[in-house]
Amino acid sequence: MRLRRLLLLAVAAVLLAAAGTAVWRSAAPRPETAHGIAEGLLCPACQGESVAQSQSPMAAAMRDTIDQQLAAGRTPDQVRQFFVDRYGEGVLAEPGYDGIGILLWLVPLLAVAAVVLIVLRQRRRRPAAPPDRDPRTPAPPIGRARMWDTVAVAVIALVAVVAFAGPDHDSADPPARAAADSTSSLLTLARSLEGQGRYAEASEVYRDVVAQRPDDRTRLRLAFTLLRSDRAAEAATTAGQVLHDSPGNTEALLLLGLARRASGSPDATTTLRRFLKAAPDDPAAPEVRRLLARS
Amino acid sequence: MNRRRIAGAVLAVAAVTVLGVTLASGMQRASGDTTPAATGPVTQARTGAAPPLRGRTLTGARFDLTTLRGKVVLVNVWASWCDPCRQELPVLAGAQRRWSADGLEIAGIDIRDNAESAHRLLTELGVQDLRSVADPQGTAAVAWGARGVPETFVVDRAGQLRWWAQGAVDAAWLEQRIPPLLAAS
Repeated sequence: MRLRRLLLLAVAAVLLAAAGTAVWRSAAPRPETAHGIAEGLLCPACQGESVAQSQSPMAAAMRDTIDQQLAAGRTPDQVRQFFVDRYGEGVLAEPGYDGIGILLWLVPLLAVAAVVLIVLRQRRRRPAAPPDRDPRTPAPPIGRARMWDTVAVAVIALVAVVAFAGPDHDSADPPARAAADSTSSLLTLARSLEGQGRYAEASEVYRDVVAQRPDDRTRLRLAFTLLRSDRAAEAATTAGQVLHDSPGNTEALLLLGLARRASGSPDATTTLRRFLKAAPDDPAAPEVRRLLARS
Repeated sequence: MNRRRIAGAVLAVAAVTVLGVTLASGMQRASGDTTPAATGPVTQARTGAAPPLRGRTLTGARFDLTTLRGKVVLVNVWASWCDPCRQELPVLAGAQRRWSADGLEIAGIDIRDNAESAHRLLTELGVQDLRSVADPQGTAAVAWGARGVPETFVVDRAGQLRWWAQGAVDAAWLEQRIPPLLAAS
């Protein structure tokens, strides 16, 4: 018994030492990098992702802003303040040390203290059990039942407090944000890559989106990016599939014609003529006419 | 004993309240992506001086927002890779045609875009008249506190921020907010 207690004490001491070391190491001053600052900021366009992790264009813009500000000689604290001034305290991944922030730091500490206090009190009470009780009869369950009642009441009270103090979702303004779905964020990424002229990478992302949501529009973006990344044969196949499903889609016709032309197919001219006939006023029509006149 | 029990109960209630308020404050934090609700852009009134905006436009001209003091300026954050911007840009071009004589200026911030794609979109939509500052890194948009695209900021004649909209604005939105600012001297 004594050995067991010693063992427990040793384990507790090791755990405390480890926790102390961790706290000391994280609190010790060290030079902060741009990446470190980005890790401490939440991306305002994403769900629970830091600026360092997020692939969204806005997070990339924020990373570039951090680089720019550090290069201009601002301190990490000044950079963080720059973001707080524009996006509010909520942009910080860790709460501040004032107002509601101090509460967020204190609650875990208070919770641990409360648990320790309860455990110590229970241990002190245990030997006080009535010595004259018959060991064969089970202990009266009233104490335990009361404890569960208390826990249940506490949970209900907690839910009630959250419900009252929480944000009002019935306010006149529509909800600021809809739930992000992975397809739409992939689509944003693909468009961003396409916007930057990184067509080969964009086509890979579009391909993933098409696997989940094969609508005509995305398939045409895939065909376009394939065409721009010199994979004309694949572009022609994709545009051909869209045209097969929606024969009246002139954009598909245009992309098919351009892809066939790029891959040297003899049908290219016929396809592009069909496009001009179907959509003579399309913004791309003059360019197609020029292409046909040249060939 | 009774007093101790009461003290315990008071402590428990206090603990539950603190925990509840903490959780509730967490819930108040904004989360999610910037997709606006279907009913229109999420709009907030803003105060304070407009952040600086200067640089080169997509056509290569110099731009400085301070030279537009005395005008109502609508600053729109957009990009050619942003789908809702396609619908919004013609609305903005219409507003420019309608109210430019009364003192409205429109300045775009074209973020993380390549100039070629931006030009192509403006030409395709027939809105080449819209002037936009090229912001290839997106740092100008961040300085304005933009969270996504499209977003719109309205600056009054005194250079003060008045409105901020997340999501594409439409004709009704502009009709409600621009004429009162133009009417103010």
